[in-house]
Amino acid sequence: MPANEKITLKNATVGYKKSGGDIAILDHINLSFYEGDFVGIAGLNGTGKSTLLKSLCGLLPLLSGTLNINGIAVNELSLEALAKKVGIVLTERVGGFNLTAYDIVAAGQMPYTGSFNRLNAEHLAVIESAIDQCGIRNHRHKPANELSDGLFQKTVIAKALAQQTPILLLDEPSAFLDYASKHDLFLLLKQLAQQDKKCILVSSHDLDLVLKYCNKILLVSEKGAELLPVAEATQSDTFKKIGGGFI
Amino acid sequence: MRSVNIIKFSVLVLLCIVGCILSLLYGGSEPVQAASISSSDFIFWQIRFPKTITAIIAGSTLSVAGLILQVMFRNPLAGPYVLGISSGASLAVAVSIFAGNAFHLFSDFFIGKSFIVFAAVAGSFLVTVLILTISKKINSNIVLLLIGLMFSQICGAMQMALEYFADPNSLKSFVIWGMGSLSNNTNDDLLIYVPLALVCTIALLFFVKPLNALLLGQNYAQNVGIDFNKNRFYLILISSLLTGLTTAFCGPIAFIGTAVPILSRMIFSSSKQHLHLVSCLLIGCIILLFSDALCNSLIQNVSLPINMITTFIGAPLVIYLMFKNKHW
Repeated sequence: MPANEKITLKNATVGYKKSGGDIAILDHINLSFYEGDFVGIAGLNGTGKSTLLKSLCGLLPLLSGTLNINGIAVNELSLEALAKKVGIVLTERVGGFNLTAYDIVAAGQMPYTGSFNRLNAEHLAVIESAIDQCGIRNHRHKPANELSDGLFQKTVIAKALAQQTPILLLDEPSAFLDYASKHDLFLLLKQLAQQDKKCILVSSHDLDLVLKYCNKILLVSEKGAELLPVAEATQSDTFKKIGGGFI
Repeated sequence: MRSVNIIKFSVLVLLCIVGCILSLLYGGSEPVQAASISSSDFIFWQIRFPKTITAIIAGSTLSVAGLILQVMFRNPLAGPYVLGISSGASLAVAVSIFAGNAFHLFSDFFIGKSFIVFAAVAGSFLVTVLILTISKKINSNIVLLLIGLMFSQICGAMQMALEYFADPNSLKSFVIWGMGSLSNNTNDDLLIYVPLALVCTIALLFFVKPLNALLLGQNYAQNVGIDFNKNRFYLILISSLLTGLTTAFCGPIAFIGTAVPILSRMIFSSSKQHLHLVSCLLIGCIILLFSDALCNSLIQNVSLPINMITTFIGAPLVIYLMFKNKHW
């Protein structure tokens, strides 16, 4: 196994456990993602992009097959160890209970703090730099439920950065962002992949952004999941179908 | 800690001490002259003193149980009373009191305080687990509260059936218990109540980090390394123990569990749950101590039910929050 392999799916079936029989969304897929990869996940609505992301971070157990993170099977990793390896950005909104944007970003340091969650100077420095990287310094003391959708999205991305993980999984992070912020975000992710050698997977419907910034595209369709370099992906029939002939 | 918070906490501690004094002096049919208290004063040491201690423990346990429930359900209106958890405890106590009288052989065992405590804890645990199972399928905070209301109605109806067939003696003792009262406990009862409540509260200190993480919801909590299922189980267990204990010793007490965490979040604009844990302990004490002094001194020679006062404090707060739901 190459040393820089970050995520490996072997013969994996992704889906939901139901009492009336499992619902497999993606069947027997084999994928490998490496450090420095910036992968855009493209697929029509309901093809299983979010389900795949939830499986890759261990939130949703695989129906069969194995998932290795950094070469270690995910069920052999403690939750805390996993938290230091994979950071996620989901589409759900959280807030209330006096939570501020800062509190959400600070949660990213939880895997590194003790049982009373005390933050020392080192933790605080990481949180501050994540806040600056995502450009939310002026909004950090606002209540989380009063943030606009775009600012909230940036806050959760800052949380994932504060988690200092070599792997970042983002579920439609550009959905609520304005045009400039979308490009800012993808540029930031591209830098993180290239300079910090992070392995980043982003699901997105913004195909033009994916084409412009990502180095690989994971095409998700009813036929399964296919990982291709950007140049090859644009030639594939699946991609043309996802683009609907408009791209 | 910020100096503003230190001042706020100092005020709370001060109010707590004032509440203790008021409850000790005015928490009965007639005020006690502070100067006349001697070490052998029966009324003071056997009636007022256990009642004040009961108020302190009941106020703090219910408030903390409410705080846990609100965080766990991510619902600022949750609480042991509104979710029907207190009713579950009541029903279990009713069953044990009536069963105790029906089977005379075991009556000592069934009506003994420790069995009532066990029954109340089991009842509240069962309802909490039921509500939690349902809440996974429901996203609306309001619907969840309505389901809690339905649970307390169902428990109430079952209780009514039991009461209908009960003999007069056990009926009377149950109805009096069901009104909720701080004055049912002797100093001997406190020897069980206080240590158990303390142990639960101290155990909770080890769950401060999970509580903070749970505010972000199950997915994000797991992603920052918090074992959601394990922590949720222990938190349910602790909140059921706290609710069950206090319900066993004082009967169902209304709205404290809902109102106090809300007040705490209004006073301290922080999301740190260790801060709210301490402030809920203090505010819970203060409210019950003052309520106790109030219900004994509003009308001369009449001791009003404690639930009347706590409902007047709690229910308007819930209504207020519904209107102002932006700051949930």
